[in-house]
Amino acid sequence: MSYSVAIFHSVSATLRAERVLGQAGLSIKLIPTPRQLSSDCGVALRFESAFRQDIEKLLTLAQMEAEIHDLAR
Amino acid sequence: MKTIDARGLACPQPVLLTRKALQEVDEVTIIVDNLAATENLRRLASNEGCEVQVRAEKDVFHVALRRIGRAAGPSQAEAPLPTAEAGTKTVLLVTSDGLGQGSQELGQVLMRAFFHTLGEMKSLPSVAIFMNNGVKLTVNGSPILEDLKNLATRGVELLSCGTCLNYFEITDRLAVGRISNMYEIAEALFQAGKIVSP
Repeated sequence: MSYSVAIFHSVSATLRAERVLGQAGLSIKLIPTPRQLSSDCGVALRFESAFRQDIEKLLTLAQMEAEIHDLAR
Repeated sequence: MKTIDARGLACPQPVLLTRKALQEVDEVTIIVDNLAATENLRRLASNEGCEVQVRAEKDVFHVALRRIGRAAGPSQAEAPLPTAEAGTKTVLLVTSDGLGQGSQELGQVLMRAFFHTLGEMKSLPSVAIFMNNGVKLTVNGSPILEDLKNLATRGVELLSCGTCLNYFEITDRLAVGRISNMYEIAEALFQAGKIVSP
């Protein structure tokens, strides 16, 4: 299983994104930001890399900025 | 044969009274008014070498215990303190569904992050105890159910306080692990080598 993570500017932005993506039925998990990725925000949203495009589209539609990284497995 | 009316008695009274009675007789019938107590009594029966039958009648449960083999020597709880082995167990004590004070929303985020991280650790606690608001994490709708199920399959015992489940009226929504009582919980805490309480 290969995962990607979306990192936002703040905890509240992350939670908002979680709600938006969750309501759209996407399978995402709130996790601590992986150590190898430095960030202002300590939590990130993890999802299966296969859904990356869907998630990027939804975030753009919701006007939410995020950095998306693929996690090495 | 002794009959004990434990209706209205709070956990762990029913278990203590039954255990005491079993020291004098081989058959005990105890009447309790909540499901959590019947689960605790089933476990006591198993520890004491008794067969157990639970009969529900209106709002109460009649629990009949009958010893089927003589216990050889002092009962479990009277045995001398366990060996060094027991003192090396790590116990996770969760007393709320949020981690820390200040913001409830943040607390829940932290708790979710904590349990995710726990799942990635090589060495896991032997038991996780959930009390007060913590029992909201082991019932249907909990944000960490998948993490808890993962811990359970890896051998972590998940104990939810029966009194707490009963108080919040969510006993029938328990989704992972089993119901425990103050007696078992206190024992686990005192025998622990390390207690981690997020």
